[in-house]
Amino acid sequence: MATLQAILNGLLVGGIYALIAMGMALVFGVMRLVNFAHGSFLMVGMYLAFFGYTLLRINPYWGFVLVGGALFLIGFGIYWLFIRRVMGQSDFLQILLTEGISLCLVGGAQLLFTGDYRSISLPLADRTANAGALNFNVAYAVSFAIALLGATCMYLYMRYTEMGRAIRAVAQNQGVAPLMGIRVGWVSGISFAFGVACAGAAGALLLPVFYVNPTVGGPYNLKSFVIVVLGGMGSLEGAALGGLLLGVTEGLTAYYWEDSYTQVVDFVVFLAVLLLRPQGLFGKKAP
Amino acid sequence: MRTRNLFTSVLLVASLAQAQSYTAKVGVISSFTGAEQAFGEQHEHGYTLALEDINAKGGVLGKPLEIVKYDDQSKSDVAVQGVSKLVDQDKVPVVIGAYTSQSTRALVPAIMKRQIPLLIPTAVADNVMESKSPWVFRVCGGANDYAQATLDFLKVVGLPKSMALIYENTNFGQASAGAMRVHAKEAGIPIVADEAYAQGAPSYTAMLQKVKEKSPEAIYFASYLLDATQLMKQSRQVGLNPKIYTSAGTGFAVQAFISPDKGAGKDAEYTFSAQQWMPESKWPGSKEFAARVKARWGEDPSYHAAQAYASLVIVADAVKRAGKWDPQAIRDAIAQTQMMTIFGPIKFVNQQNQHPILITQVQKGAFVIVAPPDQAAAKWILPTPPWSARR
Repeated sequence: MATLQAILNGLLVGGIYALIAMGMALVFGVMRLVNFAHGSFLMVGMYLAFFGYTLLRINPYWGFVLVGGALFLIGFGIYWLFIRRVMGQSDFLQILLTEGISLCLVGGAQLLFTGDYRSISLPLADRTANAGALNFNVAYAVSFAIALLGATCMYLYMRYTEMGRAIRAVAQNQGVAPLMGIRVGWVSGISFAFGVACAGAAGALLLPVFYVNPTVGGPYNLKSFVIVVLGGMGSLEGAALGGLLLGVTEGLTAYYWEDSYTQVVDFVVFLAVLLLRPQGLFGKKAP
Repeated sequence: MRTRNLFTSVLLVASLAQAQSYTAKVGVISSFTGAEQAFGEQHEHGYTLALEDINAKGGVLGKPLEIVKYDDQSKSDVAVQGVSKLVDQDKVPVVIGAYTSQSTRALVPAIMKRQIPLLIPTAVADNVMESKSPWVFRVCGGANDYAQATLDFLKVVGLPKSMALIYENTNFGQASAGAMRVHAKEAGIPIVADEAYAQGAPSYTAMLQKVKEKSPEAIYFASYLLDATQLMKQSRQVGLNPKIYTSAGTGFAVQAFISPDKGAGKDAEYTFSAQQWMPESKWPGSKEFAARVKARWGEDPSYHAAQAYASLVIVADAVKRAGKWDPQAIRDAIAQTQMMTIFGPIKFVNQQNQHPILITQVQKGAFVIVAPPDQAAAKWILPTPPWSARR
């Protein structure tokens, strides 16, 4: 029973990890772009949700749609202004650019909002529910359900829509896709915007159970890297499952070992996957 | 030999030249922004009022007192840079700071190197004093005092049969847990769970679940504010029901912790905390100080504000007695300090102020002193009602 409880705790946190990591996997899979600014977009999403709630009384549980939408536009803008110019260039340039964007976002937030921690207090976040002998926080469960729903929607979108097919085509072969009449630049922009929107929406869902400050995204950025590698580079399903798996691993580590070792275990998992199964749990072998 | 003499005289001249160039200002380092901003704000309130009071009485050595503030952003590496900024650039001859034990521990070597007196207002980890440097003084009681006071209190209310330690893996957390481990062993209380956690995690439920299964009768927490809030909310969630929740002050001892918007709100009820000071403590000026802070900033001060206030008063007094803005003279004057402040009587033994620790409990949304008897304002409420019986 205790193990089940630890797994449940881990799963609920993992749902949010999954949503964040799917965004990163999308950007990585389609654009071959390692986005170091991903965690910072999560932070931007959290601030939007925070001010949406405190100033306009928008509950983040539906406000996440607005936040996701806003981040989609911001993401597309950033793609068009900056990212576009380094597409197909060396990884090094891409890393420098996205890290630079991240520094600007974090620095800008520090300038605007100072380094203080802010949180909102939703009645829902204080409620606990029981399922048999298991208990869980309702806010986490709602965030988890929405994250899962979002992930499913994204999966279906990729599978069954024209745009989804185009995105997958670009992911599969950037050389052949344009020959099939796909505008690669446009599709890349949409994917990047989608990825950023995922991070933003995840931020809005994280806000009721956590707190926000300008550097809050850093650890989540690192976790997304671990998850994307764990799930298989660029695989959306892999990222979703990888997120859940990492959450569960952390829960079990805290339960059977010690909470302060969760971060260590994250990276041991990362190294082990790179060593034993470099293509990730769900990825295809690199050609 | 000659070269050594030459070297010594160069050093002497250099240090003389340095001695002459100190400004008549006090350097202050604290966490004015960042994770520990709530505590930095308390420091800020204390320093502000102390400065006004000192200057209302004519300042120091015929001039209004000035302080130079440095924000360590709640990071220890930034705190170390603060020493070089304040001492090397601004030329202050005395420094008060920092807030966290981590930052304070980090800046002690930098202070020793520059031979500038440092007054530590708040850092609880006992290793901030382990250098035994003649330049380092501490105003507050330490982690060992917290553990001792908590155990003395437990002896009065009935020793628990088992105890769990839950603490962050930082200097403050480790030191507090370490001190309690020793004291609990002496008292014959088995530690059934010993859990260090990483600060700022989104969920501690797995750890709390594990502690719950050991059913400790007492828990001793050492946490800063954000985690203290998460820990109590999630303790309710997992149904962790010890007979008594105790803590090493800090996150469990500030007003924000009992506020429903910024902290744990109702979930903070019944928790005990080691405290260094309370508005109700029976030291002259405590109540008036608290009333002034409340009137000005709309919130009761925590002990951190009183520590900051007292620290600046001690330094001003020392400079007056030293008669000049010189590090060595100020250091010697601080060592001789014997005065009453709002933070109680100040007297340094081996550079450590002998400060009595209070125990408070959150009762009906407010901190109330329950021990020691000469300071107590109310009776404690025990055992802690289980979560299911609350509300």
